[in-house]
Order: sequence, then structure tokens, then C-alpha cells
Amino acid sequence: MKSQAMFFKARAGEKLADARLQVNLRQARDKFVDGRAAAVGRYVTDLGGDFEALRDAGAAIRDRVISDLDVWLDSFETKAVETGAQVYYARDGADIRDMVVAIARRHGVAKVVKSKSMLSEEAALNAALEAAGVQPVETDLGEYIQQIDDNEPPSHILAPAFHKSRDQVADLFARTHGRPRKTDIPDMTREAREVLREHFLSADMGISGGNFIVAETGSVALVTNEGNGRMVTTLPRVHVVITGIEKVVPTLEDLTTLLRLLPRSGTGQDISNYVSLLTGVRREGESDGPDHLYFILVDNGRAGLVGSEFQPMLRCIRCGACMNHCPVYQSVGGHAYGWVYPGPMGAVLTSLYTGIENALDLPHASTLCNQCGVVCPVRIPLPDLLRGLREQQVERHLRPWSERLAMRTWAWVARQPRLYALVSRVANRYLRWLADGDERIRVMGVAPEWTLTRDMPAPQGPTFRELYARRMRKNKEEN
Amino acid sequence: MRVGLLVTCLVDLMRPGIGFAALRLLESAGCEVVVPNGQTCCGQPAFNAGDRKAARALAEKLLGEFEACEYLVAPSGSCAGMIRTHYPGLFADDERMRGRVQALSSRSYELTDFLVTVLGVSEVPGDFRGSVTYHDSCSGLRELGVKTQPRSLLARMPGVELREMEECEACCGFGGMFSVKFSEISGAISARKCANIQATGADAVVLGDLGCMLNIEGRLRRLGDERTRVLHVAEVLAGEDA
Repeated sequence: MKSQAMFFKARAGEKLADARLQVNLRQARDKFVDGRAAAVGRYVTDLGGDFEALRDAGAAIRDRVISDLDVWLDSFETKAVETGAQVYYARDGADIRDMVVAIARRHGVAKVVKSKSMLSEEAALNAALEAAGVQPVETDLGEYIQQIDDNEPPSHILAPAFHKSRDQVADLFARTHGRPRKTDIPDMTREAREVLREHFLSADMGISGGNFIVAETGSVALVTNEGNGRMVTTLPRVHVVITGIEKVVPTLEDLTTLLRLLPRSGTGQDISNYVSLLTGVRREGESDGPDHLYFILVDNGRAGLVGSEFQPMLRCIRCGACMNHCPVYQSVGGHAYGWVYPGPMGAVLTSLYTGIENALDLPHASTLCNQCGVVCPVRIPLPDLLRGLREQQVERHLRPWSERLAMRTWAWVARQPRLYALVSRVANRYLRWLADGDERIRVMGVAPEWTLTRDMPAPQGPTFRELYARRMRKNKEEN
Repeated sequence: MRVGLLVTCLVDLMRPGIGFAALRLLESAGCEVVVPNGQTCCGQPAFNAGDRKAARALAEKLLGEFEACEYLVAPSGSCAGMIRTHYPGLFADDERMRGRVQALSSRSYELTDFLVTVLGVSEVPGDFRGSVTYHDSCSGLRELGVKTQPRSLLARMPGVELREMEECEACCGFGGMFSVKFSEISGAISARKCANIQATGADAVVLGDLGCMLNIEGRLRRLGDERTRVLHVAEVLAGEDA
């Protein structure tokens, strides 16, 4: 998918002005934020668990894998091959597209049903399949809605279409399915199910993502809520799993730890409706499962993070908690971020995977409030990583010269106490002059952006420095 | 006990009364307070802008001014957080400085945290009367764990009625340079904070960080709220004639 991240600011403005989106964002925020809090609460009160210790354990599992990623991938591959699967490694999106198209050709595939895969978004896979004469059908309800809406990209990694209202979806269904318009949600989902069922039964190949792959058994774990994942992975004769190389976990025991964290952090569920653990091809005597199973394990920039200051980002288990809790995401939604992943994790990943120079706004589009960091199930220090990206921008001379000059001048002045005292005194008098006796400044020439959305309270009086010096002189005279 | 007061650059420039309020609180708790003359800024703006070199230079300067004090206290969660949480990382590759920085970092406190945790203060001089709601500023809360300290001090004041707002721990939308780089997004986040403040009907919103104060006060006034006062917790605790 081509990144539009350079247009963050312009897009954010549009999103703020979109009244319907703002209502949907508010509802989604309440649902996800309250949902996580309640789920974490239940874990503590009902199960007697310690969620903070669970976060420590989750982070430790992910770190252990990432520091020896090649070894764990090797173990996974050995096991997966033993179960009849084939394991491919894709360097980038082009590799993914070529591999999937080649697999489709090899097996004479005309139609593909897809369960959620963010990697296929990274690779813009659907367009490549269509160009190769293969029909891709998204079967995750949200992804399906996005697909039939002229392939609009997802706006959230768990809930791709949550920026749309029920009415918008009703219109879309009526137009696409050619059936009477329905607005009752159970009726609408039934209609989607009927349409999708035919696709499941007629597809030759299923493509899924993989929440985790397990080195101990060669399995892929899928965490879903709609059941479409099971249809995609068991009905067609070919199943292709596309996931990142960092998604490997050593053992099933480790998997269970991460499964305790993922749905609670993301959707606020104790466990998702479905957890599928799929191992190998269909064997003699088994009634379902694919005849051919492929794993496409994707680098697309991931390996380059190992050993760098950004390595902790590879712990990410794609739960969405950081964006759900981010005040910026809550205000502008996912599309403003311009690529596959939105919110704090998206700001980091977009910068790292599409190039720091192609996403200059994103690391700055954060108040560094660290609400993301405190809810991250694997303790990724997101504000530190965003700050690290800002440092890279400075080091690579990617910031505007005016900003650099202002920062350097200020920092130099702040190292000269006498000069600084004079400058702050002048600034103080200037602001008081602007306020002109009022308690506030309504338009501030030196930083007009500040007074775009708020007033600037006027300085209370002279600087502390001046007043304190006066006080000390007075004390001296009195003594 | 010799305490160095880091006034902070924004208090110096915008609201000196907070500096004097902090001074009064520390002195009335029995501290000998020094206000190092050459202090300017802790370096947080440079640090958050990605200018590590400038941040480090300012950190070294501050270290020289404060390391003779037993404690460093600042009426700001983000400045104290900068020193306590981020200074050590700035010198991670500098053996010579690391020990000195660590020694000062571990003795640096946000004002209410210092009053409660270190001094065990149980009486404050202020005589504020009215209802207040407390905004937890992000750095103080999530970097330093400042949550119960200001509330426990406010609870010592018989005239103060604390009314908690919805989402008191949510960011106000300031974020330093974020507030001017993304003014509209910042304004949207602040609007929600302001609505939560107003819903309590409190006479004043009280908080512990000047950046958030300027943002919240500026946004409240822009939205037409002339009634809700915006006060630093030190001003409330010390009394306004400090």
C-alpha cells in the first residue's frame, strides 16, 4: 500500500471536520477504553491474576524470541515442514505478491477468500491478485465492508470499518448486494453471511494472517471473533498464511500467556470468540483442512530493527490498545495516518517500514502523554520510540531549517544565564504589551498557531527572577 | 534540609506566583530553600524535539547548579520527570557523568510528591475555599506516580471540596511543541478536557504543570468560560498571598 503519511496534517484537519466520524470515534473510544479497563479488572478480581506481572511475562516472551529470531524461525520451519507445510520467506511486498500469485497459478485458483491479514495490506495484495485474474474476497465483516466500498483502506487494525455508521453500511449493502436496504444489525450481518457463504464454498484458496506462529509445533494461531477465519483456513484446498517473521513464539505455553493479554488489551474480551490453532495439512482420515499449506513469513523491514534502538517495537502483538487510548487517534481516526497501521504503533511502524523521510509528521503527532505505553500489553515504550524517531529526523537534517534555527538559538541562550534573564524579561514585557491590560492574549504574532484554538494567558507580572531578586535585596536591607 | 528550588522556565516567565507559593510551602515545612541564580530550563523542549545534544548540555548545566543541594524540587511534573526519568538515559554512554546524574536524579522531586513522600507534611498554609477538580498531568502521573499526593494535601484543607472529573488522567492536549505543530488536534483534545472540567461545576481546576495550565486556561477562555479558575496546586496549598 502506498503511504500517504506525508499528508497527515491536511488529512487530520478533514477528519476533525467530519461530524459523523467524530461521533463514531467517540463511541468506539468509549467501547474500547472501558472494555479494556473492565477486562483487566475482571482478570484481577475474578481470576486473582496480576495483570502487570502478565505484561512483564508477555514482554519477556517477545524479547526472548526477537533476540534469537533466526533460531526460532528455524525451529518453526522444521516443525511446519514436518506437518506438510511449505515455508517461504518474503523480503518485501513485491515478494509477497509474486509468491501468492505463483501459488494461485500453481493450483489453478480462480477465487481467494481472505481472513484478516495486515501484511496483505502492507503488500497491497488484492490489487495484485485481481491483476493476475484471481478474485479476492475479504470475509472479515469490517474488511468486507471496506472492500465493497471501493477498496477503502482499514482505519483500525482490529475494527477496519468502525469509522462507518450503520446507515453508511446499509447503503453500501443495498448497492452491492442488490437486495432491499436493511438497517437492523442482525439482519445486515445475516445478509453478509449469506453472501459470503457462497464465496467460502466456491473458493479455491484461503489467505489468512497469523496472530502467532508456534515454533514448538509448527502451528499458526488465529484470534478472531466472526468465525470466518475457520472457513477460510479449512474449506478451500489451499491455505496461505501471511505473517511477519517476528510473530513466532517458542511454545504453546508462551502462546497461552500472550492470549491472556491480547483480547483483554484490544477488544476488552476475556477471550476472543474463536481461537484457532492450525497445524499442518489435512491428513488421512481427517474430514477438513487444506491439502496444501503455505507460510509466507515476511521481513518488509522487520529484521533491520533487531539490535537497533527500535527493537522493542517488534514485541508488538497488534492488539490496538495504543491507538484506542491515544488522544490523537481518538480525535482524527486511523485514515489520517496514511498507511496500514495507525495510532502510536502506526506512527513508529510507518516511519520504520516506509522510511523516516516519508512520514515526517507522524513522530511529532503525539503529546507523548504515554497513555499508550501504560496500556501496551508487552510494554513497548512508545513515547521513547517516537522521541527516538524525532532524534533521527534531527540527525538526518530532515527538520525544517527554521525549526532547527529556533531550537539551536533557544538552547544556546538557555546556556547563558545572564543573557537568558534578559531575553525572558523582554519576552515577558512583550507578552504583557500584547495583552494590553487584559488577562489574555487573543492573537499571538510569534506563535500564531497557539492562538488558533486557544488564548494565551498573560504573564502575571514581572519574571520570577526579577521579583525574587527584589525580595532578596529587601531582605538584605532589612537585616 | 537544604532544598534547591527549580522554578522552571515557564513559571519564571508566566506565573511567578507559583514559584513563591512553592517557596512558601517548602519553608513552612522547615526546609532551607535555595534558588540557584543561573537556572534557566531543564532541557525538556530540546529533548522532546529530538535535539539530544542540546538537552544534554542543559542537563549538565543544571547538574552543576543543583548537585550541592540535598534535594531538587520543582513545581512541575514534567520538569521533575525530565530530570528523574530521562536525565540518566542522556548520559548512558558517559561513564564519568553517569554517577553524578544518577545521584541528582534520584534526589529530584515534583513538589507535592516531595511534601508528602519525603517530608510527610500534614499541614499546609493555604485557606482556599471552594470546589476544585484535579487534572492529573501526564508526566507527573505516568513518569513519577503523582496521583494521591496532591489530593491528600488538598484533603487537609477544610475549605476545599474535591470533585473528581471524568477522565482526570487523560491528556489535556498540550504536548509542548505539539500544541503549535498540530493546533487543531490539540484544540480538539483540550475541548474534551474542558467539557469534563465544566461538567463537575467546580470553581477551579487545579493541576501541577504549567504547560497544561496555559493550555487549559487558554482553551477554557477561548470557549467562553470566564468562570472556571485555573490554579496551580502550589497556589492553592500555599494561599494566594504567598
